[in-house]
Amino acid sequence: MSSELPRTLKQYRHAVRAHELSAEEYLDETRQLIERGDPQVKAFLHLRLDAARSDAQAADPSSPLAGAPIAVKDNIMMAGERCTCGSRILEHYVAPYSATAVRSLLAAGAVVPGKTNLDEFAMGSSTENSAFFPTHNPTDLTRVPGGSSGGSTAAVAAGFALGAIGSDTGGSVRQPAAFCGVVGFKPTYGLVSRYGLVAFGSSLDCIGPIARSVRDAAIMMNVMAAHDPKDATSVKRPHVDFEAALQPTLAGKRVGIIRELQGLDVQPEIAAAMETARKAAVKSGASIVDVRVPHILSALPAYYIIAPAECSANLGRFDGVRYGLHVDGRDMTETYSRTRNAGFGTEVKRRILIGAFVLSAGYYDAYYKKASSVRQLITDELDAALQSADVLLTPTTPTTAFRLGAVTDALEMYKADVFTIPANLAGVPAISFPAGKDAAGLPIGLQLMGPRWSDAELLSSANVFFTALGGES
Amino acid sequence: MAMIIDKETLEHVASLARLEITPEEEGPLLGDLERILGYVAQLSSVDTSAIVSKRPAMTELRPDEPSAGLTREAGLGGAPAMRDAFVVVRNVMGGEDE
Amino acid sequence: MTTTIGLEIHVQLATQTKMFCGCSTAFGDEPNTHVCPVCLGLPGALPTLNAQAVRLATRIATALGCTVHEVSEFSRKNYFYPDLPKSYQITQFDRPIATGGSLPIVTERGARSVRLTRAHIEEDAGKSMHAADITLGGETLVDFNRCGMPLIEIVTEPDMQSGDEAYEFLRNLRRLVRWLGVSSGDMEKGAMRCDVNVSVSPDPAKRGTKVEIKNLNSFRSVKRAIDYEEQRQAQCLTDCTPIMTETRHFDEVQGTTTSMRSKEASNDYRYFPEPDLPLLQLDPTELESVRTQMPELPWEVQSRFERDLGLSPYDAALLTEERSTAEFFQQTIALYDNPKKVASYMGTEVARLLNERGKTLTETQLTPVALAGLLTMVEDNAISNTASKDVLPLLVDTGTTPMEAVRSLGLEQVSDTSALEGFAREVIAENTTQVDQFRNGKEAVLAFLVGQLMKKSKGKANPKLAGDTLRRLLK
Ligand SMILES: [Mg+2]
Ligand SMILES: [Zn+2]
Repeated sequence: MSSELPRTLKQYRHAVRAHELSAEEYLDETRQLIERGDPQVKAFLHLRLDAARSDAQAADPSSPLAGAPIAVKDNIMMAGERCTCGSRILEHYVAPYSATAVRSLLAAGAVVPGKTNLDEFAMGSSTENSAFFPTHNPTDLTRVPGGSSGGSTAAVAAGFALGAIGSDTGGSVRQPAAFCGVVGFKPTYGLVSRYGLVAFGSSLDCIGPIARSVRDAAIMMNVMAAHDPKDATSVKRPHVDFEAALQPTLAGKRVGIIRELQGLDVQPEIAAAMETARKAAVKSGASIVDVRVPHILSALPAYYIIAPAECSANLGRFDGVRYGLHVDGRDMTETYSRTRNAGFGTEVKRRILIGAFVLSAGYYDAYYKKASSVRQLITDELDAALQSADVLLTPTTPTTAFRLGAVTDALEMYKADVFTIPANLAGVPAISFPAGKDAAGLPIGLQLMGPRWSDAELLSSANVFFTALGGES
Repeated sequence: MAMIIDKETLEHVASLARLEITPEEEGPLLGDLERILGYVAQLSSVDTSAIVSKRPAMTELRPDEPSAGLTREAGLGGAPAMRDAFVVVRNVMGGEDE
Repeated sequence: MTTTIGLEIHVQLATQTKMFCGCSTAFGDEPNTHVCPVCLGLPGALPTLNAQAVRLATRIATALGCTVHEVSEFSRKNYFYPDLPKSYQITQFDRPIATGGSLPIVTERGARSVRLTRAHIEEDAGKSMHAADITLGGETLVDFNRCGMPLIEIVTEPDMQSGDEAYEFLRNLRRLVRWLGVSSGDMEKGAMRCDVNVSVSPDPAKRGTKVEIKNLNSFRSVKRAIDYEEQRQAQCLTDCTPIMTETRHFDEVQGTTTSMRSKEASNDYRYFPEPDLPLLQLDPTELESVRTQMPELPWEVQSRFERDLGLSPYDAALLTEERSTAEFFQQTIALYDNPKKVASYMGTEVARLLNERGKTLTETQLTPVALAGLLTMVEDNAISNTASKDVLPLLVDTGTTPMEAVRSLGLEQVSDTSALEGFAREVIAENTTQVDQFRNGKEAVLAFLVGQLMKKSKGKANPKLAGDTLRRLLK
């Protein structure tokens, strides 16, 4: 039976509806894969396979996800399950409520096999910042899966789930998707509710699907994209059927190449993949246009001011008073700092300190305020560029997956986010899709960005690229 | 070149953030922060004089209707210390109070 | 010595639910029972703004003559405290909902207007009980029920010069918020709280060092604290001891202020725009309708009562303490056109009964129709003024009509001439000495004879008719 196991959500759904496969059967197969593979990959922080099996039994085959296993990043709340955020400070924390996105998935018939590993509080690009253990890239276990949603992407790549959700603040869904050879989609800010996603950079954070195909990402978006009155930044929009919007060609589309990113140092195979993608686009009826986003390279420094600033406030609630780790001190001040010192890892502390610094008296204008203005400037420029092009094509990452432990310098790690960060600053949708492999057989990911609220069109364009480059429709 | 962040500033910022920095951590941390802050400080050369913030506005407010919350047990069951119905902490009288 | 005083007042907006979550604002329930992921600051929870809180804030700001801004912004104010679950308070900083405005006060210096700097909306923190409050052995107990209560913070310019003026300001502000239904204004329940900034300077042209006083639990405490602080700072100036820029704590029992902490650099709140809440945009047509539908304000009604109805300042103030009282009064005088009489009756007889029953006017059965009816009966000599005092409790407690009440108490005045003549003849027969004195021109004796007649009628005789009858028969 394993040989004919569905590879995608689409195939799975078809098989279940045709009674060729039941949700429990599929979950049992998945369990075997997890039990065999996860001790090496370490995608999951906690598994709930027994509960998932009874959920699968109860799942309605005609529901949109028909009992398909969907993994959830461990910074997204699921009632009754632990939610550690990859941090000691929440090591034993059990969520008393579910994130809206999780509720939507469950209501659509998804079953959750487990919660996946991540860089602590989603801060990192390799999943090595997890307080518990690093996750390994299923393609090459000596390499990182990327991050911070490394557990979710590794789970999807390894066959431990048909899809997963992650959070993307500066590329945390797209970059690991690129490293693991799967699809990672960051929707327009405000399209998917953030309620129940443990905040890192609130103005940047997006929950997004990780899938084996662009169509699967669209299927998951159909379930998750909805206005949520519990999230004031969630926006009410007319209903869109993302799957039905998928078109077979790029006829009439203008694919923009950002001039300012051209000079950047990227791995030759990735540059070659860009070239292949361009040709595929032209072949599919698109035109290639040269666009300018003059300040796009300022996105990275702006991000590394804004994201830490927001995180320094967001992580203040982990104070050992109401939940989580508590280390007693002689007074409250000491109790707070002992708790937080024991609970947070190095990278988290570093970002909290940067954040507190850029917001503090005397530095606010030069750092936070300046970065906010630059963010607006880049947003305006990207919006303009997205008027002269329908989508913008870039690499997702400058390199393919690096070896575990290879990047130790924080700033060097930050700089690898250069392609993914602009979409978060501007709130526009962006997707990473697999586009071949490098000489070492490691997956290459390319990114498409589109105008705000063009998520359906963006998925459609990405699907054409993805299938033209060998992906499953 | 003048340092952006010195030991005193780091200690001040750490105390604002309620983080304790051990003597061993201090040196490397100062180095990292100096490099990161130096890197992001390049924004000062970007001309933003004409930039107008375009933050969006809320599209709807919440109606003033009570909704079910959490029981004390569900909301505070994991609190490190409770006395009767209260959360207990070390005495903070005379501290920072709003 | 010149004293300069500015106030920061937190007024709790009278909503059903908290500022950013659907938890109840009910007071006095079991600790930590009005809580949810949002107000407990649980991971992943997000704030959603209460529409009614915004409406009430807009209303009070408009009444205070503030410029209400069509667009305002929320910010995070970061500090650690056990009763502040998120480690930041959501408040407004750079762009408050309202700026400017003023509130009139009447003081020894005459009628003046205290300017306002700004008004902004924010959430309250939880309630901490310290070892000082209860014996706890160095612990603090925290209740999050109050956490997230909707507040409007009103900041004044330093326009007041004495504790009395501050007291008057607070009194008038409380009257206004109650008048508009914006807040209960109940300080005991924390619905109104006040921090004070006081500075004393020997030079009227120069401001002294600003000292902040906290923990003021009543208007009287505000006045006492200011009076004490004024004296303390003046003493410092005389003694040439420096006055520190600091926050001081008012000790209710001692009536003194003590230093809490100095305002040093540690108060770095790192405000920045709240990313979880987009801008607050008010609908200009709704703003306009708040303006046009604004009722006459209490001090406007008060001066109208004085000016147009000739009421004393005391009565006018009393009748405008509550909007329902002023309305009751106006409805009553529409039926019984003697404002002074109605005012004085409400200020004495009605007020006394309310006081005895511990009720407000609206909590009783008394209606303007009944009160007007009662006063009309007195005026028409249908009952005596004295008898009306026996009727009033029935109107207040049972809501019966004055006519019914008078009948049930058997208090109709005897105006029937033949009955009065009968009593008069008896009085004349029994008091020959006084009768003679009267006939010899001693007018004053008539009052005695009337009194005798009243006694015989068991108080029911109409006194004026009784006098007339006696006079006629004695001729
Ligand atoms: Mg305040
Ligand atoms: Zn609540």
